[in-house]
Amino acid sequence: MPPVKTTDPPLPAKRWWEGHLNEIGLLAALVVLLAVFAQTAPNFLTDRNLINILRAASYVGIVAFPMTFVIIAREIDISVGPAVAFYGVLFAQLVGAHGVPVAVSIPLVVLAGGLVGAAAGALRVAYAVPTFIATLALWSALRGGALWWTDALPVLIPSKPFRAAFGGDLLGIPVVTWVMAAVFVTFGYLARFSRYGRHVYALGGNPAAVEALGVNTALLRIAVMASTGALAAFTGILVDARLGSGNANAASGLEFDVIAAVIVGGTLLSGGTGRMTGTLLGVLVIAVLANGLVLLGVDPDVQKVVRGLIILVAVLANFAIARRRRRDLLE
Amino acid sequence: MSLLQLRNVSKRFGAVQALSGVSLDLRAGEVLGLMGDNGAGKSTIVKILAGNLPPDGGEMLVDGKPTAFHGPSDARASGIEVVYQDLALCDNLTAAENVFIGREIMRRAGAVPIAINFRAMIDRTKELFAELESDTRAELQVGRMSGGQRQAVAIARTRLNDSRVVLMDEPTAAISVRQVEQVLRLIKRLREQGVAVLLISHRMPDVFSVADRIAVLRRGQKVADKPKKDTSPEEVTGLITGAIERS
Repeated sequence: MPPVKTTDPPLPAKRWWEGHLNEIGLLAALVVLLAVFAQTAPNFLTDRNLINILRAASYVGIVAFPMTFVIIAREIDISVGPAVAFYGVLFAQLVGAHGVPVAVSIPLVVLAGGLVGAAAGALRVAYAVPTFIATLALWSALRGGALWWTDALPVLIPSKPFRAAFGGDLLGIPVVTWVMAAVFVTFGYLARFSRYGRHVYALGGNPAAVEALGVNTALLRIAVMASTGALAAFTGILVDARLGSGNANAASGLEFDVIAAVIVGGTLLSGGTGRMTGTLLGVLVIAVLANGLVLLGVDPDVQKVVRGLIILVAVLANFAIARRRRRDLLE
Repeated sequence: MSLLQLRNVSKRFGAVQALSGVSLDLRAGEVLGLMGDNGAGKSTIVKILAGNLPPDGGEMLVDGKPTAFHGPSDARASGIEVVYQDLALCDNLTAAENVFIGREIMRRAGAVPIAINFRAMIDRTKELFAELESDTRAELQVGRMSGGQRQAVAIARTRLNDSRVVLMDEPTAAISVRQVEQVLRLIKRLREQGVAVLLISHRMPDVFSVADRIAVLRRGQKVADKPKKDTSPEEVTGLITGAIERS
């Protein structure tokens, strides 16, 4: 019998850069932004300011990598800003007000964040509650809870070694940036080389298929939601170390920056597609932009408008790409 | 040789008797075409054989031994694989990744899995496509494939563990006419390799092209089960609609 010939002409082999157009575009955008701000914004291109950009980017990045998985799996977690504040307060209460050792408090707080995130995932699995709704409830409850608990006053952390270890620099680079680098490497590895990561992509591609093939989709959904919760909690601890206290008003609007960074980084809201390198570049683009606008003396309220516009443009580009991809597939 | 048998199997959903006393025999190297109108019980049979549904009565035999499946993984462990009607493919992944979803090959250091072994998965997928004599590409994203190539991926998946029984639910329902030919060839390959194939289809020409035996279900009862050469499309149509009572 002759071989079973498929009827399509063979597709031309993809060159490596065709698969990375998104990252190349972001890199170009980053270079343009750096060049423009270097020319226009005073003190932009100083060591001190570049370190500031890195630090600001890192608080966003630590949550943005697990968020990339969440969005690839067709879920969302909008509670990360209030979560950073709440777990920061929880940590400060444990260490500052109750004298619990730092080494005990850190795992406790991270665990608490992971469990609450897992609960949002469990609601999704058991009752089909969209994670948008569950984390919207958390968004309100965590911020409100933190404010109520502290009367909106800072909760001081007396431990100097803790502040030095987590709020300072190591080899001239902020500790928080080292943490972000470690999270980036970990999630980059998981996404590319682990069963867990490949199943997250598969889940985003066709949930029913993954279920039928015997993969535990309930566990996957709970795990992705737990990962943003746990890393938001850890970010809360790092923010405490920087400020020397837990603050119920901390990380206001962080969820916007995180989600915007992921979307700008090329992860499709429709699920199944996204890369950690794209998210890293998205985080940097947003941090550079925010910093440059501050140095240019743009009104803080106008900065919020700009942030909104960036998210809008990124989402529109996101939908355009998704539509084009669908059209490509249908041809 | 009978690999998988149903004896007198019944299934009821509330007031609906989906299957009553159906016996079926799947033999190595034989394609059994199962035909019937919507609601005749075809899908129920697939679900029972695939371990998705327990029968209410009757028994199931694997290699002549009475067996009960408690889930799809039991059926798979007995060498029974299903090609789902929608193929259960992820468009965002390559053919090799789709073939191995849930059964990925890991590079190990001792007993500890270190990383997914893409090379091994691609090589094995190429072998499977070669066995099926299909020119589908292991490294191509499934979303960029034609209907026939997608079928090849779904069928290659069933061959991963040297399955002995493959259940195919309407494999030619959603693809173009010229791609149907490819799928029928793939089914013939499975038969050549000694697999027992259950082909569920609405399409008379497809069933008559590849089936060795044809069984007809009507309202949950088997009304015919005979070699293809002893029947005709006209007779089968009559059996499906009820114009012919039984044969």
